[in-house]
Amino acid sequence: MLKGIAASEGIGIGKVMIIEDNTLEYTPKTVSDTDAELQRFRNAVDAFCDETMEQAESVKKTAGEKEAEILMGHIYMMKDPGMVGSMEAQITGGQCAEAALEQVCDMFIEAFSSTGDEVTAQRAADVKDIKTAILSILLGVKTVKISEAPAGTVIVAKEVTPSMTAGINKDKIVGIITETGSQTSHSAILARALEIPAVLSVENCTTTLSSGEQVIADGSDGIVITAPSEEQINEYTTKRDAFLREKRELENYRGKKTLSASGEEYELFCNIGTPKDATKAMEADGEGVGLFRTEFLFMDRNALPTEDEQFEAYKQAALILKGKGLIIRTLDIGGDKEIPYLGLEKEENPFMGFRAIRYCLKNRDLFKSQLKAILRASAFGDIRIMFPLITAVEELREGKALVEEAKSDLRASGIEFDENIKIGVMTETAASGVIAHLLAKESDFFSIGTNDLTGYTMAADRGNGDVAYLYSPFQPSVLMMIKRIINCANEAGIPVGMCGEAAANPMMIPLLISFGLTEFSVSAPSVLKVRKNIAKWTKAEADKVAGDVMNMATEKEIVDYLKNII
Amino acid sequence: MVSKKLTIVNAQGFHMRPASTFATAMAKYSSDVVIKHNGADVNAKSLMNIIAACIKCGHEVEIVAEGADEQAALDEAVKMIEDGFGE
Repeated sequence: MLKGIAASEGIGIGKVMIIEDNTLEYTPKTVSDTDAELQRFRNAVDAFCDETMEQAESVKKTAGEKEAEILMGHIYMMKDPGMVGSMEAQITGGQCAEAALEQVCDMFIEAFSSTGDEVTAQRAADVKDIKTAILSILLGVKTVKISEAPAGTVIVAKEVTPSMTAGINKDKIVGIITETGSQTSHSAILARALEIPAVLSVENCTTTLSSGEQVIADGSDGIVITAPSEEQINEYTTKRDAFLREKRELENYRGKKTLSASGEEYELFCNIGTPKDATKAMEADGEGVGLFRTEFLFMDRNALPTEDEQFEAYKQAALILKGKGLIIRTLDIGGDKEIPYLGLEKEENPFMGFRAIRYCLKNRDLFKSQLKAILRASAFGDIRIMFPLITAVEELREGKALVEEAKSDLRASGIEFDENIKIGVMTETAASGVIAHLLAKESDFFSIGTNDLTGYTMAADRGNGDVAYLYSPFQPSVLMMIKRIINCANEAGIPVGMCGEAAANPMMIPLLISFGLTEFSVSAPSVLKVRKNIAKWTKAEADKVAGDVMNMATEKEIVDYLKNII
Repeated sequence: MVSKKLTIVNAQGFHMRPASTFATAMAKYSSDVVIKHNGADVNAKSLMNIIAACIKCGHEVEIVAEGADEQAALDEAVKMIEDGFGE
């Protein structure tokens, strides 16, 4: 068995086809007839552009617009004066076309790779791809045709280059295995766009595997099984079919409302960490965003983000969501995060220390600039504000007072915003659970953060192996807390959501339906699964389950029972 | 010579698509157009040089145009950057 990175879900069972890098060797020489050499070079560039254009057209149909754009980018890159211009200048100076091409490409590959920026470094792969393609044309080397691969082929290569994309036929290629690449590399994005299972970063796979041998590529677990036994093939065939069946089934829930089997309607939102994630939420069929973490704006930099910069980020997310709900959580940081310019001191116990709303209320300028940025963005969508780590009513009141101050500043400057912006509490501490009835009177909504709520209620750090066994949202104490928070919100007539991981847990869903949760906020890939799981339950069945569970005394009893019924 | 200082506002900065539209737009002017970024002069008409400069969201840049149609070149450059390349 070979290990790699699970980059595109699913299981591919088939025969290996190794895509070798062609040896593109030549002897660099000086040329005397520079005009003829220039012509030879230009012919190669023209052939490259024609070929790439053709590939882009076919890719547009198989993998979509974005992939085609990457290929079109190769043409723009090649036509850049920094590329073709420099190459031609070298040829005019007496260099042969191959050497001129290689030198200029290598210079940009080096320049892009050395920036240390992931996106820019990926462009180096594009330049490499251009270099290989044009060198092949100049040297008259035929490349292996992926397009001619027989059905049931697993491609094995150093990496999947954009120009290889064109040849990949979804009906023939059942898996992709590469030596390099990560979750975000081009090979991974491409494999996911084509819905082909992929295992990346499998060391030396192009030499350990050989063409024609049978393998299983498990893109869900990131493993490659070599020389599989009949038993393994049967096992993985069953797994593959189940995976495909579930995927098809889940697609039936796309574009549908989120309804229980007895017809109660719920909101199904996504958790996001950057404006770009809002696009993923939309693609995943999320009905809005239940938690937009704003820490990304403050991390990995040397100074506070300006109000304008924050405004742009919030506005961008709002525009992507096109009027769908967007709950923005104000800054949630503390001594556990390295943000040197904030001057946060290392604390003995940062999770019980100076963090989140506590820090913001003491650093009013910072907090107000964030609130103003959120308010300004509220003119562009259905934005709501959420305060993290609330433990006392005063904190909510002080935060709301600061929102009012920010509003009057904006009014004075004639800047538009949503006058009726909703302000809610992220109920994630034991204290907020106990005083939920008081908070509900002064709050427009609740959102239960189960990760911290579990930790704070159980006084257990899930990262600490010795106490992690206590960390479970199915502990009777945590369930009581969740039930109480939902009850208090229901009694006050305000919406109550859950944005922690538990919201997507199929064992938790009947309990949340019974308690009266109104909104589920989950990671984008979970949306359709959660919609399907909610559709399984009638309110009456969920009530029966919750009734049984709330009479149980231990976490083990509860988990065993729930495992049995889902 | 005309110039203006700006902050990059679109989330992805000068990535492939904006860099490409920007370089194409600048190429139609006869003036020299330079993006000053991090102490370096970047040729605004070269997609490859813009990508190599690794200009990200929040970065400060100065656009400098010099030549017969410098004002028009600067105006278009400023508009593109301020609009976040329409992203």
